[in-house]
Amino acid sequence: MSAAELARLQFAATTGIHWLFVILTMGLVPLVAIMHTRAAFTRDPAKRAVRERMTRFWGQLYVINYAVGIVTGLVMEFQFGLSWSGLSKFAGNVFGAPLALETLIAFFAESTFLGMWIFGWGRLRKGVHVTLIWLVALTAYASGYWILIANGFMQHPVGYEVRDGAAYLTDFSALLTNSSALVALGHIALAALTTGGVFVAGVSAYHFLRRTQETELFRGSLRLGLWVAMVSSFFVVIVGELQRPVIERTQPMKDAVLENSGVAEVQAQLVREHGPGDYVPWQDTMRISMDVMTIIGNTVSTITFIAVILLWRNRLMRWRPVLWVLVATVPFPFIASAGGWVVREVGRQPWLVYGELTVDDALSHVSTASLAVSCTVFIAVFLALAVTNWTLITQFARRGPDATQLGVTEPLPAEAEPVTVAVI
Amino acid sequence: MSLETAWLALLGLLLAGYFVLGGYDYGVQLLHPWLGERTGREADRNAALDAIAPFFLGNEVWLVAFAGVLFGAFPHLEGTLLSGLYPLIVAILVGLVLGNAAIQLRRRSRTARGRRRWDALIVFGGALPAVCWGLVVGLLLHGVPRRADGSFHVGFGDVFSPFVLACGATTTLLFAAHGAAFVALRSAPELAARARHSGLALLRAVGLVGALPLLLTLFGAGASMTNKATSAVITALFAAALGGAWWSLSGGHHVRAFTATCCATALPVLLVGLGHYPYLLISEAGHGLTVDHAVTDDATLKILSAFGVLVVPVILAYQAWSWWAFRGRTGLRHPGYF
Repeated sequence: MSAAELARLQFAATTGIHWLFVILTMGLVPLVAIMHTRAAFTRDPAKRAVRERMTRFWGQLYVINYAVGIVTGLVMEFQFGLSWSGLSKFAGNVFGAPLALETLIAFFAESTFLGMWIFGWGRLRKGVHVTLIWLVALTAYASGYWILIANGFMQHPVGYEVRDGAAYLTDFSALLTNSSALVALGHIALAALTTGGVFVAGVSAYHFLRRTQETELFRGSLRLGLWVAMVSSFFVVIVGELQRPVIERTQPMKDAVLENSGVAEVQAQLVREHGPGDYVPWQDTMRISMDVMTIIGNTVSTITFIAVILLWRNRLMRWRPVLWVLVATVPFPFIASAGGWVVREVGRQPWLVYGELTVDDALSHVSTASLAVSCTVFIAVFLALAVTNWTLITQFARRGPDATQLGVTEPLPAEAEPVTVAVI
Repeated sequence: MSLETAWLALLGLLLAGYFVLGGYDYGVQLLHPWLGERTGREADRNAALDAIAPFFLGNEVWLVAFAGVLFGAFPHLEGTLLSGLYPLIVAILVGLVLGNAAIQLRRRSRTARGRRRWDALIVFGGALPAVCWGLVVGLLLHGVPRRADGSFHVGFGDVFSPFVLACGATTTLLFAAHGAAFVALRSAPELAARARHSGLALLRAVGLVGALPLLLTLFGAGASMTNKATSAVITALFAAALGGAWWSLSGGHHVRAFTATCCATALPVLLVGLGHYPYLLISEAGHGLTVDHAVTDDATLKILSAFGVLVVPVILAYQAWSWWAFRGRTGLRHPGYF
């Protein structure tokens, strides 16, 4: 493999795995925040106890998932400088700003507040504790916004001018309102909520299949998960379609490949504009990814719609085949979101900044041997972590609320052995 | 103060903050199997890891913010520096990924054997970044082989020079001592006493090993500083901080000792910054990439500053709040999770 291919593989592996964890993080955190708020404002002690257990159970699954999200995110911040120094040379003046603001405004706050939330059980006041998880949710989405502003510049550069071979920022508000970023943000936010909702509904369905005693906890979870998944999966398809006019306007080649018409004409036109070269991305990969995403989106939308109707008088909880379908649906939003990522990023090739800088031109002068080593190590570590993490999520999801460790205070040794104290 | 100086100061603050906060994380990670072991019913909880737990997620992000500001405000340094230090940065990242994930997932393991595996990764994930950051500091102090176009690649010979290796060893020992001082500050009396003993021994080791880079520099085989007087003052402050830490720790003044080790871990960053100012990346004293060449365009810097003025005080405020909210000694009463 060439240095460019290795660098691309390394970047794709980091981003792809990061993305699969981020989407569940973004999908689960609003649900956990809603559960925590409901628990905090419930007066009836028995109900409050159930809702608190519910928050801790789903909160723990969210936090386990976050572990891989944060470490891959950490690596992401360094990837541009490591392998793509041509990007900072050409677009550093423009592209660096949203990344810097993402770390300062969002990433920093999300991580600090999550640390406080995890260890705040029984230590922080209820109102403060609930506010923390909402701040985590808010900053997670703020992070998504800034990242998409940076990514939007790669897809459809705006608000800049090129002087002496380098881009300079001329219109910051154009950068912040890039249509290529904003519509995509709406799409992935809804995709994340679909993923989170389907996850919560699927895990709850599994516990009903196992005839759980925690009916109240899982009935509440199932309802919340299904409603969120039903509404967001309906709109995710619509907002996804809204991206098509933007793509048509800004990325003619991606549009031609997706429409499967006029690829040769666009190739000829791009050669006229940018000189000789191959401007066609992997067509089959893109079309298959697009189809997979669309089919899954519509199917999940239909399944959750039917399931929500069956919630009436708790029919759903007694009808095992439908519960099995819900369990089986859990992985599909992840596959669809990977498909969406492929369409967006493979469809951008061969450009790193569309129309301005190609991926090959942005490559750092790093030796192929170093890249081969780092690529192998990163992929091995990330795959091992992803598999371990998903195994842990599955284990804790199956073991149910009794196995939750989040927010548990252990009794002091003196309390555990009161007899000794009495004898003395 | 011009805008670019302000952003350089912020960059320095973020890196120094990371060295101080990440530094004690790595130190505790290195020492935890020996310091925090519990037996019986609480065998799955490690007392040393309990000490860092509430702060851990908030500490690592100082590095992320450093990387973000490096890219946003100094893009022309970012590309050169990270790709030039490629093997070291990759090693740091691999260590961070493994250590960070291991700390978060360690207690999800049900068996003692599983936890021991995570423990090994926690130690490895503390040691690798600690050593490599020391090597990076050594290289930046000594100068890197810059080519005519400004790019560079560190080779085997650059990293494995006596000065750079001595810097790596010093940083590792320093982070370990810093971690011990933190455990002494945060833990119940019995563990605090053990941490104090380890901390004292480690501080003596830092003094001994830390003398090596200094001697090598004095004999012309070490750092080539641009501003010699400033560098001498910072080095003297570093020695004073080490001495102060040792003195306070042996007297049982844990707050003072920890404050001193905080200064000692932050000072190497100051030495790299002020010792070479206005150069950010040198090939030898007085030659290299200056702040003016590294900084982003004026228009971008102004926009970043408008955000920075608002955001940086907020960051400092909520970080300080998280330190305040989880102050005091740890115990089983506190929810443990990591």
